Amino acid sequence: MRMTGTVAGLLAAAALALAASGGQATGLATCDSGPRENWQPQDKLAAMLKDKGWQVRRIKEDGDCYEVYALDEKGQRMEAYFHPRTLAPVPHGSKNHKG
Amino acid sequence: MNVWDPLVRVAHWSLVASVVAAWFTTQALHEWLGYAALGIVVTRVVWGWIGPRYARFAQFVRGPRATFAYARAFAAGAEPRYLGHNPLGGWMIVALLATVALTCASGWLATTDRFWGVAWVQDTHEILADTLVVLAGLHLGGVIYASLRHRENLARAMVTGRKLPAQPGDVA
Repeated sequence: MRMTGTVAGLLAAAALALAASGGQATGLATCDSGPRENWQPQDKLAAMLKDKGWQVRRIKEDGDCYEVYALDEKGQRMEAYFHPRTLAPVPHGSKNHKG
Repeated sequence: MNVWDPLVRVAHWSLVASVVAAWFTTQALHEWLGYAALGIVVTRVVWGWIGPRYARFAQFVRGPRATFAYARAFAAGAEPRYLGHNPLGGWMIVALLATVALTCASGWLATTDRFWGVAWVQDTHEILADTLVVLAGLHLGGVIYASLRHRENLARAMVTGRKLPAQPGDVA
């Protein structure tokens, strides 16, 4: 039955989407950051941003960048990306940012 | 005969569209799709109280006794055909609507100043979204199974609203 094929296809797509979602990158930015042993610690980035007056809430890895959730010095919500080797800001939309 | 009224059908497919689109998007678009999904769920829940017969929760949400009896018949391959939702399908509708609502609520919470970047809020949102995919998969599985079992294309019925009239032995 054609309907069964269509529905089975949708089911497979749902399973694939779920399987692909583990540690999935958002695609908001990606970094060319090389081997992990050359990365700077997240704590250093957090301290740097705190000095700027940011209230850092969470640092994650996304697309081989550091992804920071914070309120900036004006209390604005920020979802900002930084290069793990240089800790330089990475604008949204960057592809394989070199830092 | 007409079983699924236009609001049920439009709500069903627009909810499918907004959830699938939200799965693949981020930022402002993702957030607007979440508000849309929540609005659809609220509309559907209200309709579940005031809508026509087969749209009503009172018509298709059965108690534990009837649900387990149906599940046993299902396991034995002898479950009757329901013109509306069967008891397991009815509970799946409740689970899907509740999971979408909680996913939307947690997603909204994650955008507030108070809970911005708070790990448990973000993680809860992701777990709920993953749960929703699993439930949607089971829902699809149930639709395929019941379609084959009762020789009726239930996905098409959710487009046209029409189902085959009740036969002897069916539950109308």
